[in-house]
Amino acid sequence: MSYRAPVEGYKGKIVEVVIGKGDRAVKIGGENILAFNQTFDEGEFPNPPKIAFEVWDMEPQGWAPWVLEPYKDVVSDPAAWAKRCEELGADFVYLYLISADPNEKDTPPEQAAELVRRVYEAINIPLIVYTTGNEGKDPAVLTKVAEVLGGENLLLGPVIKEDFEPIANAAKEHGHCVVSQAPVDINLQKELDVKLARILPREKIVLDPLASALGYGIEYCFSVAERTKHVGVMFEDAMMQMPIIANFGAEVWKNKEPKEREELGIAWEEVTAISYFLAGANILVMRHPEVFNVIREMIS
Amino acid sequence: MVLIGENLHIISQKVSDAVTQKDKKTLQQMATEQAEAGMDYIDLNVGPARKDPEVMGWLAEVVQEVLDVPLALDSTNPLAVEAGLKAAKWPPLINSASGKQESKERMLPLAAKYDCEVILSVLTDQGIPSDAETRAESIMDTAAYANDLGIENERMWIDPILLPVSVAQQGVVACLEFTQMLPDLLPGVKSTIGLSNISNGVPEELRGILNRTYLVMLQRYGMHSAIVDAFDAELRDLVRGNLPGVVDVIHKVMDGEDVDLAFLPPKERDYAKTTKVLVGKILYSHTWLET
Repeated sequence: MSYRAPVEGYKGKIVEVVIGKGDRAVKIGGENILAFNQTFDEGEFPNPPKIAFEVWDMEPQGWAPWVLEPYKDVVSDPAAWAKRCEELGADFVYLYLISADPNEKDTPPEQAAELVRRVYEAINIPLIVYTTGNEGKDPAVLTKVAEVLGGENLLLGPVIKEDFEPIANAAKEHGHCVVSQAPVDINLQKELDVKLARILPREKIVLDPLASALGYGIEYCFSVAERTKHVGVMFEDAMMQMPIIANFGAEVWKNKEPKEREELGIAWEEVTAISYFLAGANILVMRHPEVFNVIREMIS
Repeated sequence: MVLIGENLHIISQKVSDAVTQKDKKTLQQMATEQAEAGMDYIDLNVGPARKDPEVMGWLAEVVQEVLDVPLALDSTNPLAVEAGLKAAKWPPLINSASGKQESKERMLPLAAKYDCEVILSVLTDQGIPSDAETRAESIMDTAAYANDLGIENERMWIDPILLPVSVAQQGVVACLEFTQMLPDLLPGVKSTIGLSNISNGVPEELRGILNRTYLVMLQRYGMHSAIVDAFDAELRDLVRGNLPGVVDVIHKVMDGEDVDLAFLPPKERDYAKTTKVLVGKILYSHTWLET
């Protein structure tokens, strides 16, 4: 009888979440091991991490020229910009409705939702829609988006403890997923997840524990993301078993140095991306196409 | 278990006002209520009392006018503690000294000079130790220093420093481990803990069950005393052995026994869920009783 080394696996499993529908449905999560920990056959990582590219609903101010370069002819048209992201190979478009914020242009919900529809129709990949985290405005915008894009299974966020109810209810009614966002606090994250899970099944929830950039508190965000996976996979905490989105592109590129030197910015975003990748993030939201290529290679 | 009543605390507006207005009656009443609730010591927390360290002496006299209960003199200011020591009729407890250099130099010698007992925390100039082992290392150093001053182990009440479960769940587990280790580390010492800190930041109506569950757990591991909310009657019942059913459930969960929550009465079920959080089996959130 030949010897077989004992294999120690974990009992917890990350929930598999589907975003989009039909041909453009993309699965994330589903792993029962930690990221990059598949040395033997302890478990599976059936859906490798996915990459989202950022599109703004208004012309961005203060972006480094090299980040804007691939889109410079389309930045005033979010639909064309989104199309470009798809051509560059993004798995998702991450549409940031920054103009809807009362501190920006206070775009009315109807207009914001109409734009989301236009972007959605221009692409063939699934769509993530983020507002700015303004508890006064977000519910009106995201519930309208949910209604106008009813049944399309977008990923809508962020929902925070102050506004989760109306948004989650709209997502339930119109068939979308939501992002549960807590401020780098694993205990508050769980509390919000528990409350959300009373409205939506776990298969409709993605976690955003926030992701700061290298040099700006990445240690905290890394630890919280990593521990979330530990608690979910190793300790079987059902409320921490949803996939994680790491949204760090803006955090990297808002800093002075990446705006001054392209190669430094690329390295910066790469290290940040790889860190969250190692922490177990299932979706990475990033900006520079070169970083995207490196990370894509790592994933495959 | 020796219980130290925490309710005469300068952070309380009522206490703060009464102290400022030299309102003896209110303070005496608050102390008396705690004694009547069965507290073995009354803690007098005057904060740092930088402007008026003598306030501790005054407060000790005020309480002793109406009560024959030993006092815990609670301040980080050695001058305030010494004022209390001079005024105390019964051998008091210093609350507290630590491994911080300043405390070793100025607070600990008071315990030697006045031949009294002293709470010794694991705090050092490096901060609060993160796990049970570093707590052990830190307290060994500080206790050795205290021994050199002539303070024998029997006069030390070791405080592992409890942090809120809502921000430092691992620390809660570490304090349990440390409590188990303590008799081997420093034979003869007593121990104590600032219990209510475990539920700081937790919604008010949920604080009690965390405090109570944790105290039962600590009691099982030989914790000698705790600084507690004197008016939590259920807490007193639990540690005095009047609620054996609840204690039994807590112990079973601590032992990792398969407790079927569905078959427990609601109260025992809540205690079982709370124990699971406090042994570190379940990640803390404010919703822990609801899932």
